[in-house]
Formats: sequence, structure tokens, C-alpha cells
Amino acid sequence: MDNKQMVADIDHSLYDFKDIENEQDFYRMQEGLTEETVLKVSEEKDDPEWMREFRLKCLGIYKELQVPDWGPSIEGLDMDKISSYVRHKSDMKGSWEEVPEDIKNTFEKLGIPQAERESLAGVGAQYDSELVYHNLKDEVAAQGVIYTDLESAMKGPYADMIKSHFMKLVPPTDHKFAALHGAVWSGGSFVYVPKGAKVEVPLQSYFRLNAAGAGQFEHTLIIVDEGADLHFIEGCSAPKYNVANLHAGCVELYVGKNARLRYSTIENWSKNMYNLNTKRAIVEEGGRMEWVSGSFGSHTSYLYPMTILKGDDSQMEFTGITFAGKGQNLDTGAKVVHQGKRTASVISTKSISKDGGIGTYRSSVIINSTAKKAKASVSCDSLMLDSISRADTIPGMDIRTDDADVGHEAKIGRISDDAIFYLMSRGISEEDAKAMIVSGFANPVSKELPLEYAVEMNNLIKLEMSGNM
Amino acid sequence: MSEQSLLQVKDLSVSIDNELPILHNINLDIKPGETHVLMGPNGAGKSTLGFTLMGNPHYNVTEGNILFDGEDITNSGADKRAKAGMFLSFQNPYEVPGISLSSFIRNSYHAQTGAPVKLMSFRKSLKEAMEILSMDESYADRDLNVGFSGGEKKKAEILQLLMLNPKFAILDETDSGLDVDAVRTVSKGIEEYQKKKDGALLIITHSTKILESLHVDYTHVLVKGKIVHTGDGSLVDEINEHGFERFINED
Amino acid sequence: MKKDLNLKVNVLPVLTYNFLQVNDSAITGSDLNIDKLESPEAKALPQGVSVKRVSFAEAGELFRKVSDRINVSTGVPGVPNGDTSGRDASQAVRTGMGADVDNLMEAVGAQVDVYTVEEGVKAAEPVVLEFKMDKGQGVLAGQVIHAKKDSEITVVMDYNSELDAEGFLGVSTRLLAEEGAKISLVKAQLLGKGFTHFDDIGGAAFNKGAINITTLELGANKVWTGSYINLSEKESELNTNMGYLCRDDEKLDINYVADHRGKKTLANMQFKGVLMDQAKKTFRGTIDFKNGSSGSAGDEQEDALLLSPDVVNRSMPVILCQEEDVDGRHGATIGQLGEDLLFYMQSRGIDEEEAKRIMIRARLKSVARTIPEPGLMERVNYYIQNVL
Repeated sequence: MDNKQMVADIDHSLYDFKDIENEQDFYRMQEGLTEETVLKVSEEKDDPEWMREFRLKCLGIYKELQVPDWGPSIEGLDMDKISSYVRHKSDMKGSWEEVPEDIKNTFEKLGIPQAERESLAGVGAQYDSELVYHNLKDEVAAQGVIYTDLESAMKGPYADMIKSHFMKLVPPTDHKFAALHGAVWSGGSFVYVPKGAKVEVPLQSYFRLNAAGAGQFEHTLIIVDEGADLHFIEGCSAPKYNVANLHAGCVELYVGKNARLRYSTIENWSKNMYNLNTKRAIVEEGGRMEWVSGSFGSHTSYLYPMTILKGDDSQMEFTGITFAGKGQNLDTGAKVVHQGKRTASVISTKSISKDGGIGTYRSSVIINSTAKKAKASVSCDSLMLDSISRADTIPGMDIRTDDADVGHEAKIGRISDDAIFYLMSRGISEEDAKAMIVSGFANPVSKELPLEYAVEMNNLIKLEMSGNM
Repeated sequence: MSEQSLLQVKDLSVSIDNELPILHNINLDIKPGETHVLMGPNGAGKSTLGFTLMGNPHYNVTEGNILFDGEDITNSGADKRAKAGMFLSFQNPYEVPGISLSSFIRNSYHAQTGAPVKLMSFRKSLKEAMEILSMDESYADRDLNVGFSGGEKKKAEILQLLMLNPKFAILDETDSGLDVDAVRTVSKGIEEYQKKKDGALLIITHSTKILESLHVDYTHVLVKGKIVHTGDGSLVDEINEHGFERFINED
Repeated sequence: MKKDLNLKVNVLPVLTYNFLQVNDSAITGSDLNIDKLESPEAKALPQGVSVKRVSFAEAGELFRKVSDRINVSTGVPGVPNGDTSGRDASQAVRTGMGADVDNLMEAVGAQVDVYTVEEGVKAAEPVVLEFKMDKGQGVLAGQVIHAKKDSEITVVMDYNSELDAEGFLGVSTRLLAEEGAKISLVKAQLLGKGFTHFDDIGGAAFNKGAINITTLELGANKVWTGSYINLSEKESELNTNMGYLCRDDEKLDINYVADHRGKKTLANMQFKGVLMDQAKKTFRGTIDFKNGSSGSAGDEQEDALLLSPDVVNRSMPVILCQEEDVDGRHGATIGQLGEDLLFYMQSRGIDEEEAKRIMIRARLKSVARTIPEPGLMERVNYYIQNVL
């Protein structure tokens, strides 16, 4: 069997249970996620003792918690067979021939070079993360910056730091998928930027994520120490090919006193993905957290990066765009908790819905009674491209002090006919006119991205607009 | 007639969104290089004619047809008409955030000609055109019309006229809301267009300020959706003195 | 009659994060005294307006008969995430507080006064219902206001009691504005400090029909208020204007929905209020553009003035949309008196406390001035002027 051959090739796959012939029976017998599965993951990872116990604790919590009752349906995700999603990781290592036609076309249109395409498709076979790290390390090592994979970091000199931070910001009790993540997490990165270090070039996790085959339960832990500065880019607008259909990653970001962290994501998972990712940052006094987030892919997304403005004068800025096309239900937004005095947050989002896609902006802004002179502003714009799609805006605010200043603005509308006519009167086709206007609508987000990412984002918009992806 | 018509409008009737009839039996014949002026009181349907000629989908031709360069364009989209060599300077140009004025013009130029645009020479001719219009160079890199004042928007329209160089341009109330200096600048731009390319013009206006320095071949008076009078350039002066009173009563 | 209450009300049209505690609210209580099940009679009935007292279920028939028109749908699939509409499917017409209120009304046998305005009648004078509540009194009652084609009616409801009185008042008001009809509903709530109060509104407007709702929530200890208006047909219109004042440990829970179904429908919702002391307020406001509502516009503005460090203000401004050609907007301003304004006032010799009082009054009076009944307007203004 081809399939067997492929699985056998991946000898480092921790999910290579037993005999492939028995697979069906195995799952029928072991509904849901079991202790055995979790222990296997742990064993394969050679976890330290505390991590093994932590995984088992998470498993217990996972079994207690219910799936959310408010978001998009995750019926398509078979919760009884969650272990198969854990296992599916190995399927990422397909060959270019196995990449579905629509994704291939996307690559063609994006102009990803042939060589790169091959490496993207063949990620599993090219376990090559060290090289990527090494390149980056050279640039930043001199500053004492650590950028490595989380699994090995857990056993090295930063073991204690990781132990005291890992899933402290996103506790496994947070929600069912956080608990799942805690039980089966695998792969991911660890970044430590020491006091005062300003990293000039953004760190990127894209290549590593693919190369490591770390898949859908990766954990990212970033600690930016006092006065330090970092821009971290997760993913790339080049679509990631992933046949697995559950992504429950976790990102924990610690922004120290007067430090700054910018975390940029262009997410373009294939359109059968359930993206249930949890991202959270805590910001100390005078620190600043910046999120730039573009959501283009996935079948279903629950994605609300959260920021806790703990220290006085800490700040947060969230700039996001979501493009929900055919068959997609993308429920995205942001959360912020103001604790410190004079904390400030700005959330600004754009959402585009097309071809029956459901785009939901969902947020929460909480201003605690300690957050004197806090300022929060939210603005969300939605663009409807037809009348079979949905654009819903569901923002929540909970304010517990009089000494705060909260503004909120939401707008929903369509591309005005007059604007299209204006562009067409200059000879631009209707399709291009619409694409131009949508790109313009997305401009506040793309201008926050490094040039090559902004260009790719615009390409993605053009592709989505032309509707023949 | 010796010369071939550029724009022919035959028995044109137009309604908005298929509901409200606005124009009735309009006939026009414009030859290359001619400058026609369309005047009339507010609400006569002047802008409707401009929009209809350019193909705004809100305006439905209920009768008659429009020929451009001998081809029936009555049902063509605005982009097709632009490619054929038509241009409309909008009374209220749209603000399009995220696209700079210069890249918009470049995009339009490319869309119309299909030819690649050489960046350096493009920048150079853009700069020259902006100088004619006393536009600060910084406008080239600003988002299209976003935050432009009324006058700047009109100048940006004329800048596009000069850069795109159409065979025929409709100028819809290009002088409205402008101060004397701005009108003069805009007129200079229009003269430049007339000079450069034997271009035909349909100037829609309800005042006469903009016409002072321009040569006018024909003047049409539109009242309540009908062309009630056509005369030569001197009609402009007459209207300037006496207003539309005589034509309104004529109806 | 003694009654235990356990109602789940003001359910958000779409659920969100549970930790925000805005998805719904509960009215609970045991051994509540309910001694009256009907509304007061109108002080005067304008010509062309009739009234009939019927059971709650019977009153609902008016809506059930036209439920296809009220709930008109294009059938294009696609519900929002966390949709809760199924909860209220049993209602004759959906209301802001939801099915539990209907069930309570039916269970206790509350009576409904159905006011019918005949076709073309433009009632010159408002219908005024004064709920003058005694200490300890408990009332549950309903009204239906049915404005037939091209008619106009204003109904003023005045809830009042002694300032320190306690008691219970629950009201259900359902509205049907047929073609070209206009209903103006004005509710002023000046109940005593110990009152528990709910006010549930539901209704629909047909072709060019209009519903205007003005509410002033000034008194009582615990208040739930909800409104769900279906803009079912072309060019129907909804205007709501709420002013509220929450002091001491008062609780106010709001759920207002404009459901755009017809083409070129218009909704304009304004909420202006003041929170003081330990008051808690939850505001839910939803504009729902259903598929088919092309050309519609909805605007929702919230302006909350917070005047104590111990208040809790929750806001949930929702826009749902499945129609391309619409214009939906929401804006909220929540916080203190602006520093500039305060400075301006201080520069004219007004101290901070007085400036606050002026601004509270200004806010509430801007709503109060629209009350069409001079006597009530005077009392409301007196209340606003003197209670602070």
C-alpha cells in the first residue's frame, strides 16, 4: 500500500501507532483522546517529568470541558475521533503531486518559484529546521537572542524559564481546545529577547513550521525582556499545505517593562482547516504589544488574540483583516483586558465577505476598576460583496470605572456603485475596479506589514476577488 | 458633412434606475476637435447626460442610441467607453483610500492602452502636467482624492485628462465650487488638452466662468431634460448676460 | 396571588463569550405578590380608536394571522454564528425580552387591552395609560396597539409610584403598524426605589409603516427592558430613543433589536444614559439586516456617562448582515464628562459637581422633551430636576 509506504518513511512520526492494517479497529476501540495516546506523545517527545504530568492533567480538563456554544459550528470536526487529528500530522508530508489542484493553482498564481513549491509540498521529507534557525541565529545571536524550537529549549539552559511560563498565560482550563493543546502539543518555537536587545530584522516562523512538520498543535512562547524590541512573523502568505483539518496551536507572549513586541500573522491555511488557535499576550509597565493579523484561509476559525495590559501605561494595538469566501466561516477579532493605569488599546479591523462566506468580528474590551484613565477604541468595518454572504459584528465591552474613555465604531456596507463607475470610466474593468477598492479597504492592514508580505496579501485579495482560486 | 462625427447621440431618452425619466429625445453631433458647451439651470439633467454618455449603470437609456467613432456604445460598460477614448471629469470624484493618485493614473493608462508604462517617463510627464495645474507634487503619492479639497479634486480630474489624453472628454461642472484662481488654472489645463490633441470637448456647466478663455464651437441649452436651443459660442455671452429666462419661457 | 419567578430574558440574538455575561439575563424571585392582571383604562379614547380586553393568547392571534408577512424571508440560507432565534419561535410576535415573558403572562392569566385604530384615523390626542402603583403592589398586564392602514396613534404609558415604594410591575406591549400607519409609543418609568420592573415590547411594521418608541427609565431598583421590531415590508421605519438614569445599586438590563426584512427600511436607535454609585447596566442593541433588506439603513448610537468608579457598564452593540446593499452603523461613547467641556463650564464659574448635574439633566431632558403629554413631561422634568 502506498499509504503504508509513506507512513513508514516518516520514522520520526510519533503518531505511527501499531500496525497500519489495524488502524480502523484501533480507532473504533479507542474513541476520543486517551491517556495512552497522550503518553505516547510525551514519550516520543522525551518530555521532562513535569511536562508529562501536565499533559495528563490537560487531558483530564479536556474531557471535562464543553465545546463553545456561541461560535461557528464545529460539527464537521469529529470530537470523538480527536486522536485521529493528532495522528494526521504525518499526512502533511505529501508530495507535490498530492497537493490538491486548487492549492497548486494558488501557488502558480502567487508566483512561488518551482523550487520553493517543491520544498513546501515536501516539507515532511525535508526536516530541515536547524538550517533555518542557524541562519537566523547568526543575525541575532550576538544580541543574546534565543530562537529555537521549544522542545529542545525545554531541556536546555532555559528549562526553568519555560516551565514557569508555559501555559501560564493560556491555562488549559481556558477552553476545551486549550486543554487539548496542552495534552498533545508538539513543535513550536521559543524566543527570548534579553533586556535592552532590539532585534532589527523580523523573526519568521514560517519555514520552520513547515519544515519541522510540527503541524497543528504547535506552541509558541516568546519572552521579550525589559526594554527589548522584537517583530515576530508567523506564517507566510504563501499558502501552507496541510491536509490535516484541525489546528489548535497556542501562542504565549510576554512583553516586559518598556519592551515592544509586534506579532504579525498572515494565515492562509487550506480551506478544510478548523483553526482553533489561542494567542495571548501580557504586557508589563510601559510595554507595547502590536498585533497584525490577516485571516484568509481555513474552513472555520475561532481566533481572538488577547492582550492583558497589566502594567501601568502599557499599550496594545490590533490591526486585522479577515476575508471570508466560499464555504468559510471565519469568526475572528480581539480581546483586551485593561488592568494598569493609563493603559491604552486600539482595535481596528476590516472584514470582507463574499460567495456565501461568513465573516464575524467578535471582540471583548474589559476595563477593570484599577485601570484609571484607560483609553480604548474599537473600529470595525465590514464590506459585503454580495447578498448570500454574512458580515456580523459582535463586539462586547465591560467597563468598571468611570475614569475611562471608550469609543466604538462599526460600519457595514458595500462597494459603492459610483466608486466602481468612477474607476471604470478610466478604463479599468469592473473586476479590477472591485479588486482595487477592496485592496484599498485592506490598505490599513497591509501597510502594517513588511513589503513582501503586503504584496502577497494584495495578491491573495486579488485571487479571492477573481473568484477562481 | 465633410468630417466624420466622433460622438453621435440620437433621440436619446434616459431614466434613473428605470423609474424617473430625466432626458427626452436628446440629439448631439460632436466632431473631432470641437468644443461643445451644455448649459442649463439646476436640475435640467446636465449631469445625467454626462453620466449616461459615460455609461453609469444607474442611468438607463429607454430610447435612442449613442455612437462613438461610428460604433454603437449604448450598452457598453464604462471601461469599454474609456478604452474607446472617452473621458468624464466627475463633478464629485470618488475618494479611494489605498491607491495613490499616480498609481491610479498609471493603472488607468495601462488598462486603456494595454502597453507597459515606463516608470521614469511616466513620472516625468506627470510632473509636467502637475506643473501646468499648479499642483503640488506630493499629491501624486496621496491616496486618490482622499482628503483633497474641492479644488484639488477638480485639478486631479484635469490631471487625469491630460495624462490619459482621450479623444473626447466630458467635463461635468469642473468649475463649480472653485475660486477665480482655481478656475483659471483648470482652464489652462483644458486649453492644454485642446492644443495637444485636437480633442473634442463637452463642457457641462451652469455658469460661464470657465468658458472665458476657451474657444467654443457650439452651445446647447438643456431645460427640463430637453435641448431647447443650440447656437454658436456667442450664445454663452448672451446667457451670461440674460440667464436662462428666455429658454425656460420658450418651452 | 403569590408567584415564583425564574425567567431567562433579553437573550442576545447571537451568543458570544460567556465570560462577558451578556448572553441573557435572569429574573428570579419567590413569593412575589401579584394582585392585578390588567392595565389601567385610558384616560380618554380618541375617536376612531377602540379597546377590547382579551386573554394574552387571544391578543396574539392578531400577529399569528399575519406571521408570514411579519417574518417574511427570502429563504437564502445562512444564519449567524450563535443564533438564538429558535428560542422565541413560540411567540406570536418576537419581543425583546422573549418567550419567557409570554409564558408568564399566559400562566398568570394576565389580560391584554387591544387598542385598534381604524383605517385612516389620525388620532389627535394620545392614549394615556397611567400605572399609578401602590406600595407593595404587583401588576402584570399587556397591551396590543394595532394601527390599521394609514392611521396614526400615540400611546403614552406612565409608570409611577411614591419615591420610596417597592413593588412589581411587568408589562408586555405588542405593536402592529400596517401600511402607512404610524405608532408612537412613549413610556416613562418613574417607579419607586424598591420596584422590580420589566417592560417587553415586540412588533412589526408593514409597507411604509413606522414605529417610534421613546422610553425613559428613571426609577425602580431592577429593570429589564426589551424591544424587537420587525421592519417587515418596504420603507418601514423604526426610531427608538431611550434615556436612563441608574443610581445606587440599581440594575438596568436592555435588549433592543431592529430586524430589517423589507427593502429600504430604516432604523435609528439612540440610547443615552447616566450611571452613578454602584449601578449596573447591560446594553444589548442589534441591527439585523436580513437577506432581502436591500437599500436599508440602520444606525445605533450609545452614549453612556459614567459618574462613579463603582459602576459596571456592559455594552453589546451588534450588527448582523446578510445583504450587500445596506448601510449599517454603530457608535458608542462611554466614559466621563469630557475634559474640554468640563473646563469650558469651569471657566464660566460652574464647579465640577454642578457641571455633572447639568450634563445629566441635559441628556435626560433631550429625551424627555419628546413626550407628547404635557402633564407627564412636566413630571418627568420635575423628577430629573429634583431627584438628583
